[in-house]
Amino acid sequence: MSRRWRVQLTAVVRKEVLQTVRDKRIVFMLVAAPLIQTLLFGAAVDLDVDDVPTVVVDGDRTTASRELVRRVLADGTLSRAGTAPSAADAERMLDEGRAAAAIVVPPRLSADLEAGRAARVQILVDGTDPNRSSVAAAAASRFFGEEAQRMSRERAARSGAVPPRIEVVPRVLYNASLETSPYLVPGIMAMLLVVVTTIVTAMGLAREREVGTLEQVLVTPIERRWLLVGKMVPFLVIGAFDVLLVLSVGSWVFAVPLHGSFVALAAGTVVYLLCTLAVGLLISTMSTTQQQSFLGGFLFALPAILLSGIMTPIHSMPRWLQLVTYANPLRYYAELVRSVLLKGAGVVDVAFQLGALAVFAAAIVTAAALRFGKTLG
Amino acid sequence: MTRASRFLVRTGAMAAKETVHVRRDPRTVWLALGMPVLLLVLFGYGVSMDVERVPLAIVDDDRTAESRELARAFTAGHEFVEVADVDVSQVEPLFRRNEALAALVVPRRYAERLARGESGRAQLLVDGGDAATAVRILGKADAIARATSLDLARRTLGPARPPLEARVWTRYNPTERSAIFLVPGLAAYLLAIGAVMLTALTVAGEWERGSMEQLFASPVGRLEIVLGKLLPYLALGFVQLLLVLAVGTAIFDVPVRGSVLLVFVLGGTFLVGMLGQGLLISVVTRNQLVATQAATLSSLLPSVLLSGMIFPIENMPWALRAMSYVIPARYLVHALRGILLKGNGLATLWPDLVGLAAFAAVALALATARFRRRVA
Repeated sequence: MSRRWRVQLTAVVRKEVLQTVRDKRIVFMLVAAPLIQTLLFGAAVDLDVDDVPTVVVDGDRTTASRELVRRVLADGTLSRAGTAPSAADAERMLDEGRAAAAIVVPPRLSADLEAGRAARVQILVDGTDPNRSSVAAAAASRFFGEEAQRMSRERAARSGAVPPRIEVVPRVLYNASLETSPYLVPGIMAMLLVVVTTIVTAMGLAREREVGTLEQVLVTPIERRWLLVGKMVPFLVIGAFDVLLVLSVGSWVFAVPLHGSFVALAAGTVVYLLCTLAVGLLISTMSTTQQQSFLGGFLFALPAILLSGIMTPIHSMPRWLQLVTYANPLRYYAELVRSVLLKGAGVVDVAFQLGALAVFAAAIVTAAALRFGKTLG
Repeated sequence: MTRASRFLVRTGAMAAKETVHVRRDPRTVWLALGMPVLLLVLFGYGVSMDVERVPLAIVDDDRTAESRELARAFTAGHEFVEVADVDVSQVEPLFRRNEALAALVVPRRYAERLARGESGRAQLLVDGGDAATAVRILGKADAIARATSLDLARRTLGPARPPLEARVWTRYNPTERSAIFLVPGLAAYLLAIGAVMLTALTVAGEWERGSMEQLFASPVGRLEIVLGKLLPYLALGFVQLLLVLAVGTAIFDVPVRGSVLLVFVLGGTFLVGMLGQGLLISVVTRNQLVATQAATLSSLLPSVLLSGMIFPIENMPWALRAMSYVIPARYLVHALRGILLKGNGLATLWPDLVGLAAFAAVALALATARFRRRVA
């Protein structure tokens, strides 16, 4: 009895491996493509904002105003892209995309400052890219805010009264240099695994159905469940291999650390791969052609990626959408990988994520097995 | 019949055959039209990089009215939400379990120092894992601290206007909503998925099933096959573009400040290029599974990554920046933002149209050329 299932399983696994390895292009896309994509992604995703091209309109034209402009631009967030004679000209440069921000210093700025009248500087930002515009605006208003605070303290000191002040000193944990890639590379890996495992299993089974080889396999004495397991095993191995590959390259090229427990990472990866592979099988049972199963795989993968917190933080989503993310296995895996790699989490810290992934894996595998049996029978 | 009318009849026949294929598979049509809408809604609501509802832990070692006031200054807006009131040793476990992203630590004798006229010092611990969010959290914390200082100064020293003020005006997208930034980019991405994937799959499918050879045996010419195959998908692409624009303006208030005609001219040129690329991929691979992966690598990923849709091109290393010039999505994303948000016309955007047209011409020429060699 026990020998029979072992024979059946190894037969199916062997067939799947042979079928996959036969086409070099498929091997390439399973192994090399994730690597290329990680390198590409890791180098391309940089949301740092600096050198925002800024046009300067100096209506004052005094030493004081020039000095003020020099100091706003000093920290490198904004960089001078030209000067314009008036605010209207600066706006035109923004329209044409030749600058993304403008600093407009009013006439009589230094006279106003010396006389103790309130002076007002205008900052125009191109809001097309909210990430860039908010960082640019924050840099400018921080500079002028600090400047104003310094001036009012000086004035108050002259009159004898010292205004109270509150300072909040920041300290950044885990990624003190605030690099983007150590955070994004693990997320990208989670994302690529969905694309590789889900879409490949979905299309693979649909192809067998199209070509008619699925029926040939079914007339053999192989039991359905071993057929199902045998179809998943090779891709589980390939997926695990991809994880190791991407992480080693990530640590080498992008300095992605591994601070936490390897056991937690390995357990999480296996359970997560079970989820994505089973989703692929489930999709293939619902489609009749490769084109349909590809689109179905895409229809699962894209929302799953969007709602995983990999690209953008979950806490900025509206409440109802945050609830939806709890139904997304990718969310738990992304959290798990990042906590383990960057924050040194152990099995206990990510127990919730592991548990959630296990529940999903069990549910999806069962659903796929049931549908598989039904659509074939 | 003249040559021209024969050409039209044959192309029309090919297009009709392809339309029947598409119509016979209604699930694909629904997916092709439903997917853009679903993705647009998810993107529009889900993809926001605003600092909102950041889970904040509070470590108040002072427990005075002043320390509580500082904590309230942080949680009063919509940027931070208090999730825990803990001891300082509890902060890191909270970070590790992803239950907090920042912690405000108010030390003992905070109120005392303030009363003595020294500066009140608190500490903000930030989870730096997600660097982009951490930078924004730091910016917000800074602004809150400054506003609270100003408030305190006003109360103790009487009202005074700040001597220097910077007024920020945000143009084109005054509320800084991510959706307005993303929808034009997403339009390019969705058009790319539809055009490249569907053509790559249908043409590769004909090779797999062997019906391509039957077509070659008929009197229909090479160019007629290519055009006939592409026309229905071009029409589908236009419907997708219209749908994306309609949903974007209706749900996310994306403005249309420029010419709609220009949107369709640029969108159409982009579509022709993408269809040509899909055709080229299918002619080269002749296998649906390989075709999808080739399309993902050569078109879908670059359309997201190297187009400036989310990640700014000017931050990339020079090699990727150079590569982005051959990604047509780059030109479309730039042009759509210009037309929709800024009201730019062809006077500003002609380089984008030239880039798109050049790509379309090269892709179609290559695909037709490869096609011939395969037939022989």
